[in-house]
Amino acid sequence: MSLFDGPRGALSELTRPEGWVLGVSVAFLLFLLVAMLTGALGPTYFLFLVGLAGMYALLSFGLNAQWGFTGLINFSVAAFFGIGAYGTALMTASGSPIAGGLNPLVGLVVALVVALALALLIGIPTLRLRADYLAIASLGLAEVVRLIVLNERWLTNGSAGLRGIPGFFHGWPVLSTFPEAMPGLRLEVIPGSPVTLKTAFWQASLNVLLVLAFAGVTYFVLRRAHRSPWGRVLRTIRSDEDLARALGKDTYSFKMQSFVLGSLIMALAGVFYAHLNLYVGPGDLDPITTFYAWVAVILGGSGSNRGALFGGVVIVTIREGTRFLNDVALPIDPAPLRLLLIGVVIVAVMRYRPQGILPPQRELIWPSAVDGGGTPETPDSGVRERKGGGDNE
Amino acid sequence: MSEGALPKDDAVLRVDDLQKSFGGLAATDHATFAVERGTITGLIGPNGAGKSTLFNLITGFYTPDGGTVEVNGTDVTGMEPYEVADHGLIRTFQTPRKLEGMTVREAMLVGSRNQPGESFLTLLSSPGTVAESESANLAEVEQILADFEIDHLATQPATDISGGQMKLVELARAMLAEPEVLLLDEPVAGVNPTLAKKLKDQIRRLNGQGTTFLLIEHDMEFVMDLADPIVVLDQGHVLTEGTPKGVRNDDRVIDAYLGGGA
Repeated sequence: MSLFDGPRGALSELTRPEGWVLGVSVAFLLFLLVAMLTGALGPTYFLFLVGLAGMYALLSFGLNAQWGFTGLINFSVAAFFGIGAYGTALMTASGSPIAGGLNPLVGLVVALVVALALALLIGIPTLRLRADYLAIASLGLAEVVRLIVLNERWLTNGSAGLRGIPGFFHGWPVLSTFPEAMPGLRLEVIPGSPVTLKTAFWQASLNVLLVLAFAGVTYFVLRRAHRSPWGRVLRTIRSDEDLARALGKDTYSFKMQSFVLGSLIMALAGVFYAHLNLYVGPGDLDPITTFYAWVAVILGGSGSNRGALFGGVVIVTIREGTRFLNDVALPIDPAPLRLLLIGVVIVAVMRYRPQGILPPQRELIWPSAVDGGGTPETPDSGVRERKGGGDNE
Repeated sequence: MSEGALPKDDAVLRVDDLQKSFGGLAATDHATFAVERGTITGLIGPNGAGKSTLFNLITGFYTPDGGTVEVNGTDVTGMEPYEVADHGLIRTFQTPRKLEGMTVREAMLVGSRNQPGESFLTLLSSPGTVAESESANLAEVEQILADFEIDHLATQPATDISGGQMKLVELARAMLAEPEVLLLDEPVAGVNPTLAKKLKDQIRRLNGQGTTFLLIEHDMEFVMDLADPIVVLDQGHVLTEGTPKGVRNDDRVIDAYLGGGA
């Protein structure tokens, strides 16, 4: 693999946990590749999983922008996710009771606008108060949103959910017909177990492309924000809000920006989910999504974007990986083990690595100010100065 | 400086008839005083005299029940702390505030005012401006750290330095905000004598460069040596104000400290 031959210098700069994560991720990818080539794992399903991983990564990014950056405790991840999913579904689905049939781009915009409104609605009364109040209010908000979606049938179709959601690229030139236009491919790597790539595969590839674009842009924006003076004020608020206020920072405004940013990213995850799953129902707003996002962020290391990405992937691996345990002869049904396994993982992480697996490590100063003429010296040990890359998808 | 209720033509901070009570306790009881530009004014008083409450009222952390606070002639009563800071008044805290996960110079950079990079949109629209100001601010941080003779700490984790060094960093950071008047809450509490002397020298140096100071301090030797005039607070109101010598020999002050009737 080129990673091992090429930038040996970059590799040697990794800390031990980073090396571990990289190693395990590469091994895991190889394992998946082998599983796919032997036909044990359908390529279309694999791409669906990548999409799902991207979605969880987005949710974790969103929560990280709130909790990891600023220390805002948001227990309504599922609500913002659901608003995103329902926002676009109501605009685009053929089964939508209100609009329907619109371009998914309209859905995207509507979903983000509604999420923005909801974030402001909950943020304005609570963000001036102590951190606990947002936690309590958001806990209630999640239930309120879920119950509205479940009960307001004229608006959301109630418990039946919304069907007939088009793919995100529906109505786009070229891309909307791309899956049908692509020829079916038949690969036979292992004799006797051919792998065929059909329309569904190309459809799934487009989804992966979409989530990579969403997650990539989000990651880029968050990384820049995290290392900026803006991110520094957020981190000051997280450590000590009074200090930030004493130094002349309008902490309410900063907290609001952080909260809105995170909520929009969560809604983005919802938009993607709606066009991935092509069906949304009130069950998608269950609090378990909030729980998963929190586990992902804490597991990865609060405040770390890479950590959030890693945590999101781990969650999907546990959630979906346990399905395969069915194939192995087990005396019990493994599905209920999922939550247990997540519980064990989080307990182990808290016990042995309370800061998370990939906590932020470098000094977070605007990169060019440190690298460029600003100062001659570079930070010594303890705080690492490592340029981008090395993140595992 | 003259004795008694001093006439102050050029007050950078003016507190007039300030009141604050918590339940039945009048923590600040019609306090009135002013801080003349260019001075190092001391604020002393026995425990529970309401010194920290007064600081919180002046800086906007508490809202007063009555009275006014003026900074540079502007009424800042009831303003948010960040707005008060905008008018040139910066404070430090009694216990050093720790910024977890930051290096000393990162923690210092928070102090700089008007950073374009603190606007989220500017980050995305014109990163060049942000980089430019960040470089300038970083250079300024290095300069101030050097002035404070703690530049060797720049890349240390901000939580791993001694309490006294934290106090120095706090003072240095407050200076980055370019205050006209700086309120220090017990700058040498828990600081070893060597560092305390260093802090005193720094405060003198900064005062010489034009910054006005108002400081709460329990270390009498420290405050008597550094501050002039000294305001004495007792039970929420201003008992007297005068030179260190005058205050030290004032019977009312001795009474207040020793518990009356002595």
